[in-house]
Amino acid sequence: MSTSLSTKSMVNLQSASTAKKITVLVTVIFIALLLFGTLTTDGFYSTENFKAIINSAALVGVIAVGMTYIVISGNLFSLSVGTTAAVSAMTFLWALRFGMIAAIVITVAFGAVVIGLQGLLVGSTGANPIIVTIGAGALLEAMATWISGGVSVYPPADGPSYAFLYNPLFGVPFPVYVFIVVVIIGELVIKRSKFGRGIYLMGESPRAGRTAGLPTIALTTGAFVTAGICTAIAGILLGAFNQSGTLTSTGTLTVDSISAVLVGGTAVVGGRGSVTRTAVGAILVAAIGDMLLLRGYSPPIQLLALGIIVTVVVVLSYLNSGKGSRS
Amino acid sequence: MPEELRLEMLNVTKAYGNLLALDDVSFDLRAGEVHALLGHNGAGKSTLVKILSGVVLPDSGTIKIDGVAVSPRNPRHAQELGIALVDQELSLVPVLTVEENLLLGSARTSRRQAASLRKQLRPLLDSLGLEHVALSSVTGSLPIGEQQLVEIARALSRDARIIILDEPTATLSDHEIAKVFSAVRGLTAQGKSVIYVSHRLGEVLKLCQRATVFRDGKRIGTRNVADLDRNSLVEMMLGHIPETVRNASAEISDSAEMLSIRSLTIPPRVQGFELDAVGGQIIGLAGQVGCGASEVLRALAGLVPDAHGVVELSGVRLRLGSPGRIRSSGVFFAPNDRKEEGLFLSHSIANNLVATRIPRISRLGFIRKALENANVRKLLDLTGIADDRRALAVGVLSGGNQQKVLIARGIDQQESRMLLFDEPSRGVDVGGRSDIHNLIRGAADQGNVVVFSSTELDEVLDLADVVITMFAGRIVSVRPRSEATASNVLTDMTHGAEVLTS
Amino acid sequence: MSRRNSLRFGNSTKEPKWPLFLLLALVVLTFAAPPIFGHSSSSFTIYNALQNTSCLGLVALGLGLTMIVGEFDLSVAGTYALGGMVAVKAGAGSPFIGILAGVAVCVVFGLIQGVIIAKLGVNSMAVTLGGSLVALGIAGTIGDNKSQSYDNYDVGIFLNQQIGTFFSVRILIGVAAFVAVFLLMTLTNLGRAMRATGGGRRASRTAGVRVDAIVIMSFGASAGFAGLGGVLQAYGTSTATSNPGLFPLIFAVTACLLGGIGLAGGRGGAVGIACGALSLALLSEFFSTVAAPQYVTGLVTGLLLILVTAAASPLVLRKWNESRARKAMQEASMPQTSSDKQSISIGE
Repeated sequence: MSTSLSTKSMVNLQSASTAKKITVLVTVIFIALLLFGTLTTDGFYSTENFKAIINSAALVGVIAVGMTYIVISGNLFSLSVGTTAAVSAMTFLWALRFGMIAAIVITVAFGAVVIGLQGLLVGSTGANPIIVTIGAGALLEAMATWISGGVSVYPPADGPSYAFLYNPLFGVPFPVYVFIVVVIIGELVIKRSKFGRGIYLMGESPRAGRTAGLPTIALTTGAFVTAGICTAIAGILLGAFNQSGTLTSTGTLTVDSISAVLVGGTAVVGGRGSVTRTAVGAILVAAIGDMLLLRGYSPPIQLLALGIIVTVVVVLSYLNSGKGSRS
Repeated sequence: MPEELRLEMLNVTKAYGNLLALDDVSFDLRAGEVHALLGHNGAGKSTLVKILSGVVLPDSGTIKIDGVAVSPRNPRHAQELGIALVDQELSLVPVLTVEENLLLGSARTSRRQAASLRKQLRPLLDSLGLEHVALSSVTGSLPIGEQQLVEIARALSRDARIIILDEPTATLSDHEIAKVFSAVRGLTAQGKSVIYVSHRLGEVLKLCQRATVFRDGKRIGTRNVADLDRNSLVEMMLGHIPETVRNASAEISDSAEMLSIRSLTIPPRVQGFELDAVGGQIIGLAGQVGCGASEVLRALAGLVPDAHGVVELSGVRLRLGSPGRIRSSGVFFAPNDRKEEGLFLSHSIANNLVATRIPRISRLGFIRKALENANVRKLLDLTGIADDRRALAVGVLSGGNQQKVLIARGIDQQESRMLLFDEPSRGVDVGGRSDIHNLIRGAADQGNVVVFSSTELDEVLDLADVVITMFAGRIVSVRPRSEATASNVLTDMTHGAEVLTS
Repeated sequence: MSRRNSLRFGNSTKEPKWPLFLLLALVVLTFAAPPIFGHSSSSFTIYNALQNTSCLGLVALGLGLTMIVGEFDLSVAGTYALGGMVAVKAGAGSPFIGILAGVAVCVVFGLIQGVIIAKLGVNSMAVTLGGSLVALGIAGTIGDNKSQSYDNYDVGIFLNQQIGTFFSVRILIGVAAFVAVFLLMTLTNLGRAMRATGGGRRASRTAGVRVDAIVIMSFGASAGFAGLGGVLQAYGTSTATSNPGLFPLIFAVTACLLGGIGLAGGRGGAVGIACGALSLALLSEFFSTVAAPQYVTGLVTGLLLILVTAAASPLVLRKWNESRARKAMQEASMPQTSSDKQSISIGE
């Protein structure tokens, strides 16, 4: 019994080391391609462009920090963050009539509840997170259309000024500061808190987590609530920037935030990764998009590039975990 | 040679790392005989079965079937060579119908062959006493025993010359066992050969013609069953185990915990389990795989949702079925499968050691490094793992050290009151085992109630203060260590059927 | 034999019967309910539902095949778009070449995903999420990031021309695909091997089922059917869209779950998927008949998807198995009723 186990782990170690080599190789190729691409792109290496990159990384990055919690907790992804961000933007602009602080609190609470409920369902029944979040996204979109009557939400004319949310501060757009703060807090909580430790352990092995007495339902719900808070914050920035809230403003937020998490190197299988990695991933994803845009490629090419990168990263993360490979 | 030899294995050796699982073993099987393989866990019989069924390849040695040298490469190849294995673990697909499961994997046959095969299925099931089971029944809806019979039927339908039955009766009722027996006799009447792996000596004496006993990777001997009785078989299996008598740790402090279990039932395996224990005592549940001991521990840890019964720890009733709550009332459980549900393999040793005491090392929701380090250092010290290895992934440790991490994780906790260890030294070498036993004894001395389960006789005798033997989900005997001997415990573990039915 | 068998079609299909009842209920609803709201349904309602199902139903059929083998193809919305776009672009000269090209590109795409999933053992949802971006990216690139119209209007007219009361060429093609899958799965070993793969991967491999080949094939078929759905949609409306959004996927998952194909794998077949897809199409016809606002359909679909996902979750399955086991045990403990079998938990 024992003996067969030990040989199995040796096999795993061997394949793990080849997987490491492949990972290094792919990373080198990726960086080389990125360097080559950016160096040959006119106007990429300029302060203005870097500002544009970091600015577009900020919004996606804030959502991606929350998504990191879901991925590390072993619950794959949420596909409802884009819609939730758009509806959060609408909520924020509508709630501005109660004052700035109240609007922020209401919006964050909204995001936390909407995505947290999905986490509660996933955590307590073991329902598939991807399908639950697809359904929840559709439901939320329909409800928002119903309540808003299908028209854009505008801030009240006599409401508080929210211009500081998108105006530059010391030459850097405000969302960038928010992004930095969210990353720092996000990293601190997941690395240092009791809750963060539980998420890492549960993501590595839900069964072992249950046996060790971890509160798995609370942890899953918590991971989703965190994602909801981050998504709502992004929604506030989105609403302020657009100065109006519509459902069509979601764009590719969901896909970009998932890509940021994966490109950063957080394992799809859960249990490993970090918020800092996600921040780097968000900047890389923004840089790739920016480079392709500067070179005159259309959005679908960017989608294609992201798709290929995501697939490669997913495969590598499985090879490294040893969870996928069968001996 | 008096009789035709169906199978010969000559000087077969298989090592896993530096552990010899089979040491220069020879074995033969006659046409038309039922041949028992005996020996306790780790004796080498399952390695022999794996080699024959193509799951592992031997390091050296020859295998001959009907005089022709063969080497089964994989399970499919073994099937083609006429070797069929009915595993302990069911390998039926529960959502398919009985007919579909019987035909599964025979896809290579032509349509006409498949049609003729289908015609044989009904009589085949009938011959196993499954007249009442429709071919269109969903397999998962049958009782476990009938599923086992369906699996045997599948092996028979494959036209095998050598059929290996690995613990076929572990989960069956007496009535179902009788059906398996008559099926096996029917097979041998057709000249087929059966290798019968079992812990149940009564069955071996009743069914088999010859028996081969293994111990520590070596063949101890092959005898005609007619010349044997229970005592001589037990003697062959026991070999070296000395009849030490150890007295239970005497002093029991006033503050000791009290455990009381009343009519614990865990469907479908365990009925009416009862136990009383006090802190400082180590209770050993001894029994073979499937005896229910493991289920009892899992239920006490809250991991079996539909277990019911009254379990009280120092007067406080435990809520079965809720692992988090039970954990916070001071119960710790170490599962028998450290890879799948024990450890967090790619996390560091340090992280694993404190995984069960996160609340204790945190303040205001954040983990205090100083507290964490202090705990890790203390636990590393207990396990004997060097402090500079704390950041290594626990998965790279040897099996023995992994197991020590798993055990150490549960002990030395101020709030712990009851510790449950399911097969505490599974897959651990002798040295590691005594370290683990010392850790467990230390925990008991601190006043905890300790309950462990083991399928290994020496472990039970080495560690337990009270030995409880279980068979088929029921308690067979309860003995203080001073009255437990290797032979009476082994007898209860293996002859349970007779004890229960007589 | 046991009572549970009476809830099934019979020996050949092993599909649960309730999707049929569901479909029946929806047919009744579609005709009986609108008059209450002052509207009325006609045979045209059925025709409309079938028209819709002919495209999206094929997406559901593809996804369903991967769900039966215990995997999940998130990329069906992507291959749906890809198939339509390729067909419009490649079929400018001849629609047949367009159909062939559209389906072939998708099949190859699906096979590649299948190989990654089966050979490397990677979670299929994660792989096909990336795959869906790739497919949408390709579709958008060749479609220049916008809808592309198909100028051969005769093809659309031909596909949509009504045959009898309920059918059109497009519908008949869809029906033919469902019938083909049904026959393949019931008359050959394929259905058994697929459900075995989904119901117990390890046991199937031990028994000699070519598990990897089955998984790869199901992903090829999934992409192929989704692509065919996209081609029919593009030709039928003379437009190919480069980004259909999540709706085809939502429709397909809900249809499959309503059709009795669990997420655990090993269950269901073409008849169930057809019932699920038709029920869903009828439901949306019902809403448009009573002139409900657009968002009502979204509301109901989203809610329905969450509900059926929760109903197919491990916890609910376990509870259901437990209660059934308890019932069987009680019945077995009574004399003379031992013909009922005690069931075991399958969800573990």
